[in-house]
Amino acid sequence: MSVLATEPPRERALHHRLLHLLASQIELRMILVIIVVMACLSLISPYFLTVSNLFNVMDQSVVVGLIAIGQTLVILIGGIDLSVGSLVGVTGIVLGLTSMGAGLYVGIAACLAAGALGGLLNGVVITYGGVAAFVVTLGTMSIGRSMAYVLSNASSITELPPGIANISGTVDGLPVNFTCLIVLYALGWWFLTYAKGGRTLYAIGSNVEAARVAGLSITLWSVLAYVASGVMSAIAAIFLASRVLSIDPIGGAGLELDSIAAVVIGGASLFGGRGSIVGTLAGVFIMVFIRNGLNLLNVSPYWQGTAIGSIIIAAVLIERLLSRAPGQR
Amino acid sequence: MAGASFELAAGEVHALVGANGAGKSTLSRIISGHLQADRGVIRLEGREIRHAGSREAIRSGIVMVTQETSLAPDLSVLENIMLPRLGMPGTLRWRELRAQARTLVAEFGDEIGLHLDTPVRELSTGQRQLVEIAKALALDSRIIIFDEPTAPLSPHESETLFEIIRGLAARGRGLIFVSHRLEEIFEVTDRVTILREGHVVAAGEPTATLTQGELVRLMVGRELSNIYSNPGNTPSRSEGQPVLRVRHLSCPPRVRDVSFEVHGGEILGLAGLVGAGRSETLETIFGLRHAAGGTIELRGHPFRARSPRDAIRAGIGFVPEDRRRQGIVPDFSVRENLLLAHLGRHAGPGLGYGACTEAVGKLLELLELPRHRVLDANMLTFSGGMQQKAILARWLVLDPQLLLLDEPTRGVDISTRSSIYALLRRIAAQGVACVVVSSDFEEVIGLADRIVVLSDGTDVTDIPSRLVDIEKLAMFAAPRSSAQRTHSVLASLVRQTGGVAYWIAIEGDRVYCFDRVGDDGAADPGFSGGAFPQVTDTNIPAALQQPTERVVSDGSRRTLLAPIRGRRGHSLGLVGLTLAGLPPGFDAAALCRRIQTTLSVSAEAA
Repeated sequence: MSVLATEPPRERALHHRLLHLLASQIELRMILVIIVVMACLSLISPYFLTVSNLFNVMDQSVVVGLIAIGQTLVILIGGIDLSVGSLVGVTGIVLGLTSMGAGLYVGIAACLAAGALGGLLNGVVITYGGVAAFVVTLGTMSIGRSMAYVLSNASSITELPPGIANISGTVDGLPVNFTCLIVLYALGWWFLTYAKGGRTLYAIGSNVEAARVAGLSITLWSVLAYVASGVMSAIAAIFLASRVLSIDPIGGAGLELDSIAAVVIGGASLFGGRGSIVGTLAGVFIMVFIRNGLNLLNVSPYWQGTAIGSIIIAAVLIERLLSRAPGQR
Repeated sequence: MAGASFELAAGEVHALVGANGAGKSTLSRIISGHLQADRGVIRLEGREIRHAGSREAIRSGIVMVTQETSLAPDLSVLENIMLPRLGMPGTLRWRELRAQARTLVAEFGDEIGLHLDTPVRELSTGQRQLVEIAKALALDSRIIIFDEPTAPLSPHESETLFEIIRGLAARGRGLIFVSHRLEEIFEVTDRVTILREGHVVAAGEPTATLTQGELVRLMVGRELSNIYSNPGNTPSRSEGQPVLRVRHLSCPPRVRDVSFEVHGGEILGLAGLVGAGRSETLETIFGLRHAAGGTIELRGHPFRARSPRDAIRAGIGFVPEDRRRQGIVPDFSVRENLLLAHLGRHAGPGLGYGACTEAVGKLLELLELPRHRVLDANMLTFSGGMQQKAILARWLVLDPQLLLLDEPTRGVDISTRSSIYALLRRIAAQGVACVVVSSDFEEVIGLADRIVVLSDGTDVTDIPSRLVDIEKLAMFAAPRSSAQRTHSVLASLVRQTGGVAYWIAIEGDRVYCFDRVGDDGAADPGFSGGAFPQVTDTNIPAALQQPTERVVSDGSRRTLLAPIRGRRGHSLGLVGLTLAGLPPGFDAAALCRRIQTTLSVSAEAA
């Protein structure tokens, strides 16, 4: 203790912070798992560690990665958002329809607004109405997909403004979409670690009554978590459109489960209060790597679901067994 | 736990005591099969037993009453009481189970208001504890372990429980009684085993051979003279503007009409039974509930909190009753738990933790918490007392003007309790107004400067703590529903003879009036319900100075006082009747007898 006390305070704080980061064991374990997965895959397939394949993997991680940010915020407060896939579908259609007439920027604005509106609807009904998040988002999942079909007359939109392809291009060799993803994750990490709202989300998920008694703004931040999830879906829809250069009303189907899987693999508790954005990013990479690896190995698509499902369960099971310290829940 | 031995005989009540962390919970959990011992044996009637789980322990006749953790909130009272039956072979006969449950619940008395079909989530903490107890009784076990059963119970409920415990012991059951409250140990147990840091320091001593002081010394390993730091005779600081003034506050269903005020530097006790509306009053002031009527003033300005946030910004702090449910954020470190209320008040987008580092350091010093061990640790690894100190500290970070505390020492061991009392004294000495809710009458009297007693959502008296003792507080606190009998007797007396009838106790030169009926000015005894004047200041000093069962005259006023006693012979005060003149054929002796036979047993409930 006396040794510690004689250290200059500033240096100690930095040193402390670094230690703290490393001691968040879940991230450390995740990075370890990623390295193991990458090592295995590169041994099995010589093609895995090539630059073009790694760029491919980055590209594939963008859409699910964006959605997983919003899903992390929602799961941290003990909620769940099943509507994200459908929101990608309907906000994509909004993007396509408005950008055809009014140009790309208006289209993007409308798309983001639609995502925020969908998230707001989820958040308000869940928080103020007191309905279970699972039920509400199950409903909006159905509504969103249906709206996508209604608005698009059930047909794909292929006439898009040419500028949209730039979003998936590269600047100075850096892929724009992946860079955006990393920037958003960094923002998310800052928010959850150093912002009042982020800590409030953790407190809500960990013990909402205690958070209420301490005067935290529970309803505000709960609603905002769902709004963020909606906006992330809209951003994902934009990147999806720029990559395939066509917008389909069925777009984004299945992303709700992929995003939840990524968050859970990343160490979050579905009861809230536990989880981290770095863990989620690792969860996204693990999912994408394995899917990529299965493709490289020419595993039949019919079998891929079984493989990925087993890996999700195994990953979470191992994580729970490792983290079960004596005296913990 | 290290090499502890324990022995329980049939037909005895055996106390298991020790400071927090001494291992009494661990020992009881090993005996009841919740935990497995690494080494050592348990013998039941000479046979060695080893339980893999609580179900096996139940089969061999051992059951533990925990602190309201093993109830299923969505199931009814009946289903919860009979829950262990689901783990037994055979079909369930609900009709029989219902009849059995009804008998068990009836033992607690009617005023508990426990209905078999109510879902447990709608019950108060005290009622839940009673369900937990009924559940253990339903198994008709040979050994029952009570782990702090009285923590959420009112004195009357505790009293009922003790009678049940004595009855079980008389029927040859072995009972283990774990408690922090020393007076209970002396009241109900036959022998005591004392644990300290996992070792037995006194094994099966007959309770009667120990004094309270010896017990405390054995528990904490040092002398603990006066656990309350109350200077005792501090004049109540009732001059100047009160920090908080509450007028006719109502918040149905529990809070009906509550008025009181508290000044800076003063500790006000809110006493009363479970369900009297004390917690709800605090929660309404703090903005967790919305008042239906009445006014609240903070430093003379009208104030109404729509949310805890408003209250916190106005300088109010609130230490809730249930630490686990309303206090601790389990996934946060101690540091972040300490700063949680700061986070609630903080206006900017960031955390503002940096600015608090110094304040936190000072607080940890004040609380005698080791900084290097505490800050990054998990709250749940600390004892109840440490957790409670941290929750208190959470508010001290904000420098509140008014601190509301709901059962601040519940589940806290005696040595930590005394340091919490000392801390509250220091906080008050800095000019903070404190309102403390406690079910422990001894604690309220020891800690508070002044006591406001609530009963059924109404304030019944406001009395300096040095003028009152536990018995009188209990009588003031008697809920209107169970004091109904006394009240109706008073009313019928007035109907019959006119004048004024009242229920009082006399202690030294003071009279304490618990209830009064009648408003005949010529017969006015000079005090009303909730008042506690000196005998010489009343209109009937002669009658009160020497209470006899005969008519005594004070000028034109004629007074008759009838002492009433409980079933075990303890005094329940006096019922009095003052008349402006005696009606013809007034038979004082017969009237006394009638009052006594009607009230002596029923008033026990009070």
